Amino acid sequence: MEYQKENSIIEAMQLEFPEAAFTVKKARRIEVKLPSKRLYDFAVRMQKKWGFLHLSAISCVDWINDGEFELVYHFWNYDEKVLVMAKIRIPREKGDSHFETISNLWQPAKFFERDIHEMFGIYFDGSEDMEGFILTDWTGPPPMRKDFITREYALNFFHYREYEPQWLKDMMAAGEGNE
Amino acid sequence: MSKIDEVRDYELFIGPNHPGIAGNYSFKMKLRGDKVLSAKTDAGYLHRGFEKLMEERLFIQNIAIVCRICVPDPDPNENNYARAVEEIAGIEVPERAHWIRTLVLELSRMASHLFSLGGHAATTGLYVLANWTIADRDRIMELFEELTGGRVYHIYQLPGGVRRDFPDGFGRRVLEVMDYIESRLPDYDDLAINNSLFIKRATGIGVITKEQAISWGVTGPNLRACGVAADVRKDDPYEVYDKLDFEIPTMTEGDSYARMIVRRKELVQSINIVRQIIDKIPSGPVWNKIPNPLKWKVPAGDAYVRTESSKGEYAYYMVSDGGRKPYRVHVRGASTTHGVHVLENLLAGSRIEDASQIMFSLDACPPEVDR
Repeated sequence: MEYQKENSIIEAMQLEFPEAAFTVKKARRIEVKLPSKRLYDFAVRMQKKWGFLHLSAISCVDWINDGEFELVYHFWNYDEKVLVMAKIRIPREKGDSHFETISNLWQPAKFFERDIHEMFGIYFDGSEDMEGFILTDWTGPPPMRKDFITREYALNFFHYREYEPQWLKDMMAAGEGNE
Repeated sequence: MSKIDEVRDYELFIGPNHPGIAGNYSFKMKLRGDKVLSAKTDAGYLHRGFEKLMEERLFIQNIAIVCRICVPDPDPNENNYARAVEEIAGIEVPERAHWIRTLVLELSRMASHLFSLGGHAATTGLYVLANWTIADRDRIMELFEELTGGRVYHIYQLPGGVRRDFPDGFGRRVLEVMDYIESRLPDYDDLAINNSLFIKRATGIGVITKEQAISWGVTGPNLRACGVAADVRKDDPYEVYDKLDFEIPTMTEGDSYARMIVRRKELVQSINIVRQIIDKIPSGPVWNKIPNPLKWKVPAGDAYVRTESSKGEYAYYMVSDGGRKPYRVHVRGASTTHGVHVLENLLAGSRIEDASQIMFSLDACPPEVDR
């Protein structure tokens, strides 16, 4: 049978999370869609029970047309050699959105959550460090949000300077050349 | 705190000019005498907003910028990007292109390891090895220049394959360079690995235990130096790694010296892999034509692709909404763990003269953190 290993992992998980939607995307890749309030429980089970000891990354996607942020947690299992992508959606607020941290379970989550807070404006409640990290002295909106338009910001913030030095005017006025 | 401690305690700002890692990065350290009490990393000097830039550019245009995310080892970026697009769009890659990509990835790993071996030795004052490995790395840069036209950034792996085939006689020249680097390894051993000065400075420095390594999210050579034989090339094979015969070197000590040894052993494995590729590479086309890239819509979907870079697990999460540009690309560099909290944990309690050695032994790459 195809994807035997993946399907048996899903079976065990489905028992405890009947409301979650599981799919095998390809060999060694499982996708899970969860209600957001179940994510913490899921993460605890992943680490303590199912042996997904490595948190590979937390990604954030701004689905501005749906008014939602999607958080994607990538968990890797060193023994089974399977990656689970757990996807949840939270409402997209004008100011900071809020979600619970998993940094007490995984140290790597500290960086990813801090990064998401800085770039998307999602505050992770309970995390010990939500300070800015990469964008030194930045006071504007979180720049990875889709409603932050780089080009517009640059046009408003910076201005083009006319560049017409005297030497250029002199050269143009000299009029030599073969045109 | 006693009166004398008040005088001894001070704060030190280290960086941002290459404070022991290849790139601009800095640390705010609290010290008592020469002992580091705590360290806090301060990033952002190399932030260029790649993830945001990629959302504004066509799928094909991004290939020219992804390689710039990691300077010493740029090819895992290109490979991840190309494979993510291929997975979402369902593009097949010719067999020969898979082999060429693997060759490029291994050459890039060797170049990066040579860089880091020399840099690591230099942090203990052994500059000869640094000069020698950087000169030897240039032989690999010359191969890259011949194959791709670029020395540092190659912009070579496109969705659908690679940009061009080997020039005439390229395989022979690759083997010559491999023989040359292999002949140099005993010299490297004499200069650093068997050098009692280096052994004394590196043994027992920056120790990570196996349990700590896994819970801190350590990957790559740093994890293998703690006794865990995990490698994306074996565990989650991509390109043609499942058709090649190679070993995963491990050590158990988990200190700075063990990390050096693991990288040194991986050089041998990479030479071995490159020889196998030149021996077995099939003939055929190297690129499957993709639709006109200026009018190309990639179907909606997402993909999480991983490679084993010279620094550890390197992953891209790409989302397409069915448009002409990627909707979101998240770059997960190996250094997002090594360069931030792993380093902070190891520096606390160390001594100031070992700080830059600990940083270099982790082989962290600041542009991966900043993006």
